[in-house]
Amino acid sequence: MALDLQMPVLVVDDYKTMIRIIRNLLKQLGFEDIDDAADGTEALEKMKQRRYGLVISDWNMEPMTGYELLKQVRADGSLSKTPFIMVTAESKTENVIAAKKAGVNNYIVKPFNAQTLKGKIEAVFSD
Amino acid sequence: MSGMTKENVSRVIEFLVENKKRGGDVSLTDVMQLAEVMSGSMHDFLSTVQPAVTEELRSIAREITRMKEEISQLRAKDMTGSKIPEAGRELDAIVEATEEATNTIMEAAEEIMCADTSDPLAYQDLVSAKMIGIFEACTFQDITGQRISKVVKTLNYIDERVSSFIEQLRIPEGFELDLPETEAERRERELILHGPQHAGEGVSQTDVDDLLKDAQADIDKLFD
Repeated sequence: MALDLQMPVLVVDDYKTMIRIIRNLLKQLGFEDIDDAADGTEALEKMKQRRYGLVISDWNMEPMTGYELLKQVRADGSLSKTPFIMVTAESKTENVIAAKKAGVNNYIVKPFNAQTLKGKIEAVFSD
Repeated sequence: MSGMTKENVSRVIEFLVENKKRGGDVSLTDVMQLAEVMSGSMHDFLSTVQPAVTEELRSIAREITRMKEEISQLRAKDMTGSKIPEAGRELDAIVEATEEATNTIMEAAEEIMCADTSDPLAYQDLVSAKMIGIFEACTFQDITGQRISKVVKTLNYIDERVSSFIEQLRIPEGFELDLPETEAERRERELILHGPQHAGEGVSQTDVDDLLKDAQADIDKLFD
């Protein structure tokens, strides 16, 4: 799958400032079509209405966490192939392994920098 | 019954033998007589036990008085009515101040990013003005630092009083009961919600990258 800067990207985080930071970093990387959601439930609703080329999601949100969102996306036939990057402060080994088992494409630990975000997005689309 | 004398025991035996000879019929008078014999036989015993019981009761009363003093020194009302709500207000103010500062800094950065660079002098003026704005916004750190110190002071105050109270209770090691898991705890466990880790405690981005490379091997190890 090739990296297409025109593809719509969905940023999921319950912290508005983090959405704003990721949005600005994505713009710097050349992405133009960026949408956001405040938790997994809202993200899932948006994903059922629009086909996103990439989802960048936080883990710890209410009512639906990013981990639950990932599992639901992978279980849904029409959404299961969507590239999914977890960006989270959850930095225990069991979190990384659980995310991998659930089918995450990459995992970024907060705090992170623009170079890490760029590198992980490129890695997802070069696999 | 160590305080019961031979004489008392004999009186009870005599009464029971006499009663048996009468065919076992028991009248109210018999019961009263037995009660009299029994109370007489218990009198000596109680007269030796009573001082010990009284001393024990006095000791319990002293302990209750001491615990009442400890409870009053706990100043629970001061904690729930003043100290804890005040600490909550300080934390809210910290969140508000950091959010305001972050927004100011981000707005400045966004304006610089979107600024027209065709006029170098105008661009330089804009960048200088926004940089000053960023420096000003960073002054939040001093105020939030002071607020955090107040919250830490409150936590220490609570810690001291509760620790002293627990010490006075003389709770033995391992006495704590296992509490049933709350709904919030169940959610945290099932959804693996640990929150941010302290420096050196969680895995680094490099560790994550290595884990993802060898994730399957690590998963397999868990089942070895």
